[in-house]
Amino acid sequence: MNSLATLRVLVEMAIRDLGAHWVKSLIVGSLLAFGTFLVVTGGALLDSISTSMEESITSSLAGHLQVYSADAEDSLELFGGTVMGTADLGEIDEWGPVRDTILGIEHVEHAVPMGITQAVVFGRSEIDRVLEALAAAVDEGDVARQQALLGHVRTISATLREEIESRSITSSDPEQAAEDLAAVEEVMSADFDARLAEDPGEALIFLDTRIAPLAQDGQLYYLRCIGTDLDEFSEVFDRFRIVDGQMIPEGRRGLLLSKRFYEIWGKMTVARNLDAFKNRLEEGRRIAGDATFENLVKANAAQYQRVLFQLEPGEVGPLMTTLKGVMGTAAPDSEAPEEILEAFLLVDDDTFAARYDAFYEHIAPLITIYELPVGGVVTLRGFTKSGYMRALNVRIWGTYEFTGLEKSDLAGASNLVDLVTFRDLYGKMSAAQQAELEDIRVEAGIADVSRDDAEAALFGEGGLFGSQERTIEEPEEEELVDEEELDEEEELDEAVTASLIDDRVYSKAEMVEGMVLNAAVVLDDPVHMPVVQAEIESLAESEGLGLQVVDWQTAAGIVGQLTYVLRGVLLVAIFVIFLVTLVIINNTMVMATMDRTTEIGTMRAIGAQRRFVIVLFLLETVILGLVSGAVGGVLAIAFVGWLGHVGVPAVQDILVLLFAGPRLYPTLSLGNLLTGVVVVTAISLLSTLYPSVLAARVPPVVAMRGKE
Amino acid sequence: MRTLVEIALRNLLAARRRSALLGTAIALVTLMLVLLLGLSKGIEDNMVEAATTVSAGHVNVAGFFKSTSTSAAAPIVTQKAPVRAIVEENVDGIEYIVERDRGWGKIISDTGTVNVGLNGLIAADEARFFAELEMALESEYAEDGRDEAIGDPRRLAEHDTILLFASHAKQLRVRVGDELTIKTETNAGVTNTVDVEVVAVARDMGFMTSFTAFLPRSTVLELYQLNEMNTGALWIYLDDIDRSAAVMNDLRGHLADAGYVVMDHDPNPFFFKFERVQGEDWSGQQLDLTMWKDEVSYVAWILAAFDSLSVFLTLILVAIIAVGIMNAMWTAVRERTAEIGTMRAIGMQRGHVLLLFLIEAVLLGLLATGVGAGIGALLAVLVNASAIDVGVEAVQAILLSNTLSLSVTPQALVGAMLFITFFTALAAVWPSLRAAALRPVDALRHTE
Repeated sequence: MNSLATLRVLVEMAIRDLGAHWVKSLIVGSLLAFGTFLVVTGGALLDSISTSMEESITSSLAGHLQVYSADAEDSLELFGGTVMGTADLGEIDEWGPVRDTILGIEHVEHAVPMGITQAVVFGRSEIDRVLEALAAAVDEGDVARQQALLGHVRTISATLREEIESRSITSSDPEQAAEDLAAVEEVMSADFDARLAEDPGEALIFLDTRIAPLAQDGQLYYLRCIGTDLDEFSEVFDRFRIVDGQMIPEGRRGLLLSKRFYEIWGKMTVARNLDAFKNRLEEGRRIAGDATFENLVKANAAQYQRVLFQLEPGEVGPLMTTLKGVMGTAAPDSEAPEEILEAFLLVDDDTFAARYDAFYEHIAPLITIYELPVGGVVTLRGFTKSGYMRALNVRIWGTYEFTGLEKSDLAGASNLVDLVTFRDLYGKMSAAQQAELEDIRVEAGIADVSRDDAEAALFGEGGLFGSQERTIEEPEEEELVDEEELDEEEELDEAVTASLIDDRVYSKAEMVEGMVLNAAVVLDDPVHMPVVQAEIESLAESEGLGLQVVDWQTAAGIVGQLTYVLRGVLLVAIFVIFLVTLVIINNTMVMATMDRTTEIGTMRAIGAQRRFVIVLFLLETVILGLVSGAVGGVLAIAFVGWLGHVGVPAVQDILVLLFAGPRLYPTLSLGNLLTGVVVVTAISLLSTLYPSVLAARVPPVVAMRGKE
Repeated sequence: MRTLVEIALRNLLAARRRSALLGTAIALVTLMLVLLLGLSKGIEDNMVEAATTVSAGHVNVAGFFKSTSTSAAAPIVTQKAPVRAIVEENVDGIEYIVERDRGWGKIISDTGTVNVGLNGLIAADEARFFAELEMALESEYAEDGRDEAIGDPRRLAEHDTILLFASHAKQLRVRVGDELTIKTETNAGVTNTVDVEVVAVARDMGFMTSFTAFLPRSTVLELYQLNEMNTGALWIYLDDIDRSAAVMNDLRGHLADAGYVVMDHDPNPFFFKFERVQGEDWSGQQLDLTMWKDEVSYVAWILAAFDSLSVFLTLILVAIIAVGIMNAMWTAVRERTAEIGTMRAIGMQRGHVLLLFLIEAVLLGLLATGVGAGIGALLAVLVNASAIDVGVEAVQAILLSNTLSLSVTPQALVGAMLFITFFTALAAVWPSLRAAALRPVDALRHTE
């Protein structure tokens, strides 16, 4: 008998047997089909997540590879780590040569320089706003306006007096409290009018330095800033887009806030809460019956004074009339603005839409919605590594987001600044500054100046860049502002120079050349990643650039690790499921074999070899495996197709980043199907091995004995 | 009944191979379930331990003070003595109470800075805290550090000292004995600084200690220029943590009766509440009562995610073994048709046949799950004893610990056994019903 004919007989017998023992076939088949379904679907999901995560990380911040200094003490974590603080990434002292080397490598398309640093912004309190207006009125010589604004300052001072008095309950420093009180009393006294008239500069400084700091209604913002070559950045990362305002013009300094940061942290509480409610309602949730939602609405209504506090006295009356009109019969009888506003904000499912619109139509124009407004100027404060504080003013040109990642807190955690601003915040001295420091050393005859001392000498009181002699009367010194690193003790200058800003246009070289911390390397095709990585490493070594190279997943830090964890957990789960399935199938097959001892005995008696029996049994399961694998595969195709249509929602923040959007639309590759087929065939063979060996052991004589 | 059990046992033994294979599958699933439960409980235990060591007491009496309705909220209880008196008078089963002061600042070393919550404590009252806290070996946070824990947390009794967690010590590149500068950042932009000495470095506890450092109360008060009458929070430790909710609600009433304004229960950590409190139209003192769970609500998602994964996996596995069991019972019923017929013919009731098959399944289930649970418990003991360091930062953050710990309780073991056995029996119901439905005559005739 030739082998082909044998095979035909075997296949025919196997199919017949499968039909004859259809219960067993059904059970084993459905287990195998389920297994295939699981492998194919799981594989498709994992692959889709990997692809989307790679897409979102490489196209937002990371590029394919990241280079940074080999001297780094900490590893690069583009999306931040678990500790809130500064990481020591070392420095790439001169970007130019490094860039040229990297761009010279085949397959490298772009190299984008970067630097990550942390800045703090103190939001303005009400008195800051008034004092700013007062300074403007002084400049314009508008005496009537000055008087009106001084009146406003006194109203706030009255609150401050009350605050200092009650604060003394908790304070350990009664002397300080007494001093503060005296300062406030002075502003409230009639003498202060004369002081303002006589020497407005001095009076303003007094208000700025003694009174304004007493107010505690400002907000503290932590800004994670990434300094980069913005022109290059916007070109390379094609998900990047400007939402509000405009791109920072070429050569100009400035800040682009992340839209996410802007809307969550930069927006006035009441407005932000209303936005959040709108989102929830659009998701189909309802306020009524949802205790959490109801509490949120109640808590938001209790914030009414945030609106009220910002209104000018003349605006309150008309606004309340308007709001009562919007509320209609639901309006309270009371005339007290507090009660009207609270009632207005206490929305329910029916009134929400109208009140939301009314809030933006009638209330928003009267108050500050964004604390850090696009077009405005903020004072960023950065800490050098030794904790030395530096402050500089930058313009907020606009907000940006990465398309698809609008809702990701992680992707939206970073704000962008130009490289000059980054270097100022980071506290790296320029070559010129270093030369001047050298002069100080020579002059002072100090052999060695520690970094702390050096920074103190440079930027501290009386230092080179210390600017305590500058006053408001000397606006001609504005051009010095780009070296405006202020000592924090010099509140005086900081306050006075708060409106000063560096508006110079820098050349490309001035912007880009110099120190950076890391850089994103973008390739024409990610498949070349390992090759390029090795090449950069060897070039860095041979040219002494002192660089290390990591891929995007490592550069993503804990975010990248979490994806490994996710993959690991899924793989372990699938493995365990298969192990159990294997045992169950094995068990089923053993029992089926037992059932068939007579039949096997007969076959053996009429001349079938042991090998024939083994092959027959294995063939049965392989055919069964292929058929059920096909069924499972088809089910998986249908399921993944359905998922690809409706999308898997990203319920956790990190999932938005992993899914490269609010929903994952998984796709199925041929590879997933092949894996499914291979795995299932392997499983079926493995689980039949033992039963078929058992079957082959059945001696022919059993057939003659009949059923036991 | 005894006879039935004996017959069932004999049947199981007769079909030894089938029983063994099926039993293996059941044991495997039980083992998985025990390990999953153990891991989940382990994370929960870590969470409770870390939370009640560094973040909260079982019940917390904290509060906010606002000088005027628009001023920023200070996280303080201004007159702690009368509040503490009310607590001590009205709460039964207090083990002890500690006071913690709350601040936020930047720690600065020569090479780096980190932002952390500054927790002030009175070392003399903190015996439990010192006992619970695990000190890090110097080599865990410093290059070329020694393989021993250096420093003494009890030195927090001295003014201007600090206890750091290992990840912060690593980031700041400091070790015990080094000097650090602390700078507070208040909303008003006012900063105060103080120099402190590192007296001890403790092991991280995942996310929970990412933003935490401990200082003597005197140093925190100095930083915020607060007087001795204030405290940040009273942490109440009870004899039974499960009484937390009841005690909190009870205490809420007592404090309100005594004239305090008590904020509505907001199950979130205190640092989530500043913005809300600042915007509300009131001034003076309000008290905020929370449970330990509330103060760590930001890590609750870990357990939720893990548990839903466990449920998903367990259900799939149970479904698979149910198929296996049903198939095995089918085969058994078919094989033993003649036997059933004989038993029915000599007077056995249908109910008893049903019971016989069910008992068989339950016996197999109990035996197999017992083996699985036993191996699971043994594995857990081994894993815990070998203190496996997970190494990966992301996993540490999720486990809330640097080492893998499985907490297998007797309840969990019994629970897993009963759960799986129940499904084993359930899968056997249909085949058993079929067996019971056989007519003696048909069964006897069925001899092929």
